[in-house]
Amino acid sequence: MPQSSSSSKKHGTDQPDIGGPASKSQRTKMVKSSDDTEKKNLAKKLKELEISVPIVYGNIAFWLGKKASEYQSHKWTVYVRGGTNEDISVVVKRVVFQLHSSFNNPTRVVDGPPFELSESGWGEFEIVITLHFHNDVCEKPLHLYHHLKLYPEDDSGPMSTKKPVVVESYDEIVFTEPSEGFFSRVQNHPAVVVPRLPAGFALPPPVPLEDADKRRRGDTKDHTLSQWFSNFSEADELLKLAAARQQVQAHIATLRRQLSLIDGQHQQLKSASDIQV
Amino acid sequence: MDAKDILLGLPKPTTTPTPLGHQLLPLPADKKSRPPKESQRKPDGISREVYALTGGLAPLMPSVDVNHLKRRAQSENEKITWQWLPFTSSARKDNLQLYHWVRVVNGVPPSGDYSFAKYNKSVDVIKYTDDEYEKHLTDPMWTKEETDELFDLCERFDLRFIVIADRFPTSRTVEELKSRYYSVCRAILIARAPAPGDIAGHPLVKDPYNISQDVERKRALSMVLSQTKQQERRDAEVLAEAKRISEARKAAKGTDELEVPAMTDTVPDDNDGAAAAVDSLSPSPNAQFTSGAIAPPVSEIASTLASLRMMRVYLRTHALEQMVQAASSSAGLRTIKRVEQTLQDLGVNLKPKVPTKAVCAEHLELRKEILILLNLQKQLQYKEAEGSSYRDGLYAETPGTPPKRVQRAVEQDRTFVPDSFSFGGERMGKRDQKRKAPGRLLEGPPSPAQSKRPRKFKASDG
Repeated sequence: MPQSSSSSKKHGTDQPDIGGPASKSQRTKMVKSSDDTEKKNLAKKLKELEISVPIVYGNIAFWLGKKASEYQSHKWTVYVRGGTNEDISVVVKRVVFQLHSSFNNPTRVVDGPPFELSESGWGEFEIVITLHFHNDVCEKPLHLYHHLKLYPEDDSGPMSTKKPVVVESYDEIVFTEPSEGFFSRVQNHPAVVVPRLPAGFALPPPVPLEDADKRRRGDTKDHTLSQWFSNFSEADELLKLAAARQQVQAHIATLRRQLSLIDGQHQQLKSASDIQV
Repeated sequence: MDAKDILLGLPKPTTTPTPLGHQLLPLPADKKSRPPKESQRKPDGISREVYALTGGLAPLMPSVDVNHLKRRAQSENEKITWQWLPFTSSARKDNLQLYHWVRVVNGVPPSGDYSFAKYNKSVDVIKYTDDEYEKHLTDPMWTKEETDELFDLCERFDLRFIVIADRFPTSRTVEELKSRYYSVCRAILIARAPAPGDIAGHPLVKDPYNISQDVERKRALSMVLSQTKQQERRDAEVLAEAKRISEARKAAKGTDELEVPAMTDTVPDDNDGAAAAVDSLSPSPNAQFTSGAIAPPVSEIASTLASLRMMRVYLRTHALEQMVQAASSSAGLRTIKRVEQTLQDLGVNLKPKVPTKAVCAEHLELRKEILILLNLQKQLQYKEAEGSSYRDGLYAETPGTPPKRVQRAVEQDRTFVPDSFSFGGERMGKRDQKRKAPGRLLEGPPSPAQSKRPRKFKASDG
């Protein structure tokens, strides 16, 4: 409340505070307009923010060994999980896995976490993973493409039933221009990376999703397959990139020096040849 | 006897006068020369020249499968004959009777008008009375005779104004004729209409012919068509630039009004860059982009950012791909390959394994810096080429000390700056000792001392 009146002095109408009944209606008008402008500012602010959700998607495949038949040699699971194994169902409503047409009902819909699908088979193919988001998040679905891997890269000895083939990809879903409801709902959720709002902005209280209480635990921290999950750390990559950039920058500086040197020498040559001529 | 035999003839000919003039006849004794030609004998049914159109070889596949061709229905039940019969056409006003072949089925010739008569269309040109002319159509620029003549020509030539302009007795431009014709028609239309509302929807009434606009349009069109290629390119560049700038400016309007710092701080920076690029662009539209890689990508990047924003949801890897493309938009395929080779040499993944916001930003910046680096290397090569031409000139005159110095320095440049990026083992920490590894990239003599010295040498040479 005190915020709104001070901001009204900044953005709102410059109306002097006249005493009397008229002023009261004026004051309420001022408060209202300041609320509106603040709402507009918030909306504008939200338009430039982006909310991102780190995810990891891929598959884990176990060779069935003795139990393997010609058409069911491997048991595999394809999945989408949070980047830090947090529950992404706060953002993802359901996931559709489109399998090879040789599977029965190749369109598999998973309505809640954990967003995974297990099957058995023998072939490797591309799986289209479609993420559908909650209504206040985004209306458009997002597609991921994952090539199912069953056989190890190198033919290093016999296949083992204990050690699976694991292929995971890290990526981040970026939502631009998030709505207020979405923002307030996820701003403190561990699965979501939310930028800090500048001071002075107040969001309306979050509206929880419909079946929030009925929801089962959706994080994958204690998942049965979690021991095979890869660890993705940006630190290594950042370090490498920083080192590479340093080298390139130093080389650029060297080249620039060389270029100016040569320019100087060419000038010398020019004047020398002038003298000769 | 076909042409080739006649022209090429055969060895030991016997010239015999024949009705066709001198002709070389084959002798039975020349059977040896025959076989090679015999194997390339043309197939029966087509003349050799036609067969040669296919390159002298039979086609690999039949072009049209004969079975796919439609058979004429009922060709067995009916008797088809072709007769040479007279016909008339409703399109003709005289009663000229011409003849043509007609497909007669079972003795019954086909009925109906000449099949092409329906294409004889003409335009309904308005006819006005003298009275109407006096009342509505007088014009200071046109006499009645001229207007009558115009309408007569319009009728004759179906409103083909170019022909009409050609035939018009006094010299009038096509646009003037059009203008007069359409204004007359419009005036007549309005005059004859029972109520103004009836014809309010008529195109002549709604959008009358605007002669100045038409003249201007044709002038502009001819200008566009006669632009040189370079002008076209420049125009396209400027237009694209303006579009990007206006888009980016629209996006930036929100940020400008608020005093708090923006969260996505890349957008205003690129806007400033874009604005600066336009400012440098507008005063000198004819200037060449010497550091060519800088200005165009800025607008590409800004527009890519804008389009990503529009998508509402996307994957960061996708965004990085788009941004990389935008940043390399002015680079050719070879340059892009060199950038990728450099990244590999630096031990950096071409596509980041952990594409977080920070990693993607760093990756993009690294790529941009490598582009700058490659650009500088190219510039250096050009300068060296210039230098060598100077040297050649000087050697002709005096082999003094200055050229030698230059030669040494420049050659050592070449040793030190090979085409691909090499790291000479100086900075790679543990790899210092193993100079063999990047050795393949190093062009000149690979002794470590020499590769180390040039840099210091040049620095003090100044």
